[in-house]
Amino acid sequence: MPLVSALAASHAPNILLEPGSEWEEFMRLHYRMAPQAGASKPTLEAQQKLRKDAEKAYAALRSDLEAAKPDVLIVVANDQFVNFFFNNIPTFFVTLADEVKGQFTRHKFRYRNHKELGRAILRTGLEKGIDLSFGEHVELQHTQVVPLYFLLPEPKIPILPIYVNTWVDPIPTPRRCYRVGELIRDVASASNERIAILATGGLSHFPGSPRIGEIDTHFDHELLEIIRDGKGRTLADYSLERLLQAGDSEFLNWMVVLGTVGDTKAATTFYMPDHVATGWGFVSWKLT
Amino acid sequence: MSSYQLNRFLFDLKMNEAVFQQALNNLSETTSRYDLSAEEKEALMAGDPRRLRQLGAHGMLALYIMRLNPDFKTNIYWSQK
Repeated sequence: MPLVSALAASHAPNILLEPGSEWEEFMRLHYRMAPQAGASKPTLEAQQKLRKDAEKAYAALRSDLEAAKPDVLIVVANDQFVNFFFNNIPTFFVTLADEVKGQFTRHKFRYRNHKELGRAILRTGLEKGIDLSFGEHVELQHTQVVPLYFLLPEPKIPILPIYVNTWVDPIPTPRRCYRVGELIRDVASASNERIAILATGGLSHFPGSPRIGEIDTHFDHELLEIIRDGKGRTLADYSLERLLQAGDSEFLNWMVVLGTVGDTKAATTFYMPDHVATGWGFVSWKLT
Repeated sequence: MSSYQLNRFLFDLKMNEAVFQQALNNLSETTSRYDLSAEEKEALMAGDPRRLRQLGAHGMLALYIMRLNPDFKTNIYWSQK
């Protein structure tokens, strides 16, 4: 059965932090890396508006996801030194655990993991010349649970976390990520289950860098326009340098989903820069 | 020179509660268990993430030296990963 829903959404921690004290406490730490970034911090009212706008975007995506009645949600995200370290960095990793858990401040998350789907992706990949890494234990982190808080707050269906190395050089090319997406699309088409997919991360930001606070809104709008036009495959030709100069390394997670949707135009897009770190982006493709 | 050991210490500060507690009690003794250069040890003792990054620490690991800073002891950043 073809994929029933595809989504992409930012996972910036401040989306889920309370505007005001939590948000500012969190950013106070980041400003130690880039003191100048604190100069443009939004007022409490602006923070509250950003939160409401993000909730509105997530609600639209959740509505599309629920309407598609999926049996499982694949979550494509990057690890940020929780499960993987410099002793072993997988370029792509498929989770084969029975269940997956994680915590974000006071919020706890626990989902069944669809390891059978994971194995199908791994086996089909091997047949097609795409060798993915795998393992039986991961800890969920903000790159997954921030979007899941809004999109799948109750663990009604299993998830399948797939990781892309978007942070530690060398990282995969946009074309390779797109190809992995095509592989997932093929596996979904051969399955009897209703499979949905979510990519998280981005858009433009420079975490842990003196450039934190810079947001390349022009480039982000370019990406979203291409996605709305159904020309995501053209982004596979973008160089890594082009993505990295705009702080869009996590867009590689999105490239996987673009490989699953092919030439389908996005049905809905939202964009809101948070003025302190990240251009928040949200996309839904209606596939049924 | 590889900054593996520097990143390893910072990763352990993030993910290994025992190492974090030991470092809180005695940073110098804890870092002595890692194969660090004198410059890396000095930067860790100084507690400046920007300097650690310049020495090869990943930016998002370098921030974890702030877990040892009394002003950031209860920062909400540490309650998420």
